[in-house]
Amino acid sequence: MNEDFIQNTLKNKSHDQEIICDLKNICTEFGDNIVHHNLDLKVKRGDIIALVGRSGCGKTTLLRHIIGLTKPLSGKVLLFGENMQAMERVAQRRLMNRFGVLFQQGALFSALTVFDNIAFPLRELKQFDESVIYQLVMHKLALVELEPRNAELLPAEISGGMIKRVGLARALALEPELLVLDEPTAGLDPDRSHNFIDLVKQLKKSLGLTVIFVTHDMDTLASLAERVAVLEDKHIIEDCSLKELAKSNHPFVINFFQSIRSRIEGL
Amino acid sequence: MVAASFRVAQDNQDRNHVQLFGQWSLREPLNDFAKLRKSLQPFFLDNFTKWDLLELEQLDAAGAATLLSGWGNKLNNNISLKPEHEELFNALISLTKQPNKKTTVDWLSPLSSLGKGVLYLIHHFNEFSRLLASLLLEIAYLFRRPQDFPWREFSANVYKSGVNALPVTALLGFMIGIVMGYLMSKQLHAFGADVYIVNILGLSIIRELGPVLMAVLVAGRSGSAMTAQIGVMRVTDEIDALTTMGISRTLRIVLPKVLGLTFVSPLLVLWTSSWALAGGACASNLELGISFRFFFEYLPLVVQPINLTLSLIKGLIFGFVVALVACHFGLRIKPNTESLSNSTTSSVVTAISGVILVNAWFAILTRGIGV
Repeated sequence: MNEDFIQNTLKNKSHDQEIICDLKNICTEFGDNIVHHNLDLKVKRGDIIALVGRSGCGKTTLLRHIIGLTKPLSGKVLLFGENMQAMERVAQRRLMNRFGVLFQQGALFSALTVFDNIAFPLRELKQFDESVIYQLVMHKLALVELEPRNAELLPAEISGGMIKRVGLARALALEPELLVLDEPTAGLDPDRSHNFIDLVKQLKKSLGLTVIFVTHDMDTLASLAERVAVLEDKHIIEDCSLKELAKSNHPFVINFFQSIRSRIEGL
Repeated sequence: MVAASFRVAQDNQDRNHVQLFGQWSLREPLNDFAKLRKSLQPFFLDNFTKWDLLELEQLDAAGAATLLSGWGNKLNNNISLKPEHEELFNALISLTKQPNKKTTVDWLSPLSSLGKGVLYLIHHFNEFSRLLASLLLEIAYLFRRPQDFPWREFSANVYKSGVNALPVTALLGFMIGIVMGYLMSKQLHAFGADVYIVNILGLSIIRELGPVLMAVLVAGRSGSAMTAQIGVMRVTDEIDALTTMGISRTLRIVLPKVLGLTFVSPLLVLWTSSWALAGGACASNLELGISFRFFFEYLPLVVQPINLTLSLIKGLIFGFVVALVACHFGLRIKPNTESLSNSTTSSVVTAISGVILVNAWFAILTRGIGV
């Protein structure tokens, strides 16, 4: 009992520095096209990290490696300290419940209503009866600031911004520790994308999430990211805060920042 | 991380004190709320149980909702909470599901559903006629501007639904021919009417079986593919993209499919019937010892050539019906997976039923010809 206690306090101390996602020596190839070569990336608990880089440089592929949809040619992906590809099925499923994913197009089940979409992962757990599920779904809907009357709509009947919110609510249904967002604000107007970013930030604070996201949008990057990982030339060339990134003298990063500056000056 | 747990103590009045510990949260992977609820059930039922939630490490909506459902969706004085948890409980209580209104039995519902069904059918019929009319208009337009004919799509459709269907139609035709020939030769042999096998097989295969078999196969093979293809094009806005380029969707999507299948169907009928006849000839050769040479020399003498013409016309009509039905259902698909699967099913079922209906009607019209 005492030992347990000590171990727990030790764990809690190292809690903040715990590495949630650890990519080691990732290599990916599509035919002759080498996408990642000996790529390393560490994500600590509580980080909001943005993955940036030019189109087609393998950001989404890296994201898919992290969530276990694809397997790198070589190298290791450790999520919560465990290698998902080498786990048995039940443990793997349990691990997958510890992160939530919001896909670029929302990836809502088109045949199910908004309510059923959010209830789906909860029902799959087979731990709750319907009245509890109802409360939990409505709670998640309120969390992403959607009206209860939207619950009975089908994904085809709601707007792009709402689809993202419902996708987020579904990703959050199982109280994940890690949230993975693929282009969270793509296809939203500036106002909505601003709201969406605020929502993610606020949820991050209240639920203690770690967030990994991919974006092309400078505003999203500037307002959401606490750390930026730049993927260029098959490696992560920079992994630091946005401020430190401004001091970098890598040609790609300079170019990248010039585009931000010129946009700001152009306004 | 400590899994959710509880401890029960009894005070001097024999009342239970339930104290909850650990993380009552989905985030702790070892928690199983169904089991926790089950083991807490006796205390939920006992109104005098005191609940102590002050020692909880963490409580999330899932844990709170599970406890709430045990407490009958309300808080009372027996429950001691941390203030931050109270907020969560009150939020969840406000989200309680309203009990569904009792559904009253509606005696008129069979009538109204019949009415709805009829209206739905009329709607379908309307849409179908509209599609047919716009197809005819496009054909009329093509007579004025023949250079707009979508040759490439036409030939692609002929290849996809015709050439690619050759192996499967041949195989099935041959098999059915063998089965029919084998069964009939047994019966005919019993009456000593061996030679009539040629009449029966010839007439039934050329006039009926060949076209219908081809139509059923093509509906299952190409009809479903056409519906699904048009459906996905609708889902991904490709049809709208075509329209904005000033290209008529009927001209570019529906017309090549319909004309392609109409063009290739008679040829497929010819092909299927030939293989079925070959199968029949094989069976009668094995069973009755009728030589192939005799079979095929005798065939044109007992089956009038007009039957072949009829069968080719049937093939033409069947191909037209199958393709048009497939396009009709494809264009009605809504952008979700359920609609896609429903429409594809309806397309195949309607096409096959339509073909059999047309066939019956055709049989009545041509009952005096060729037999």
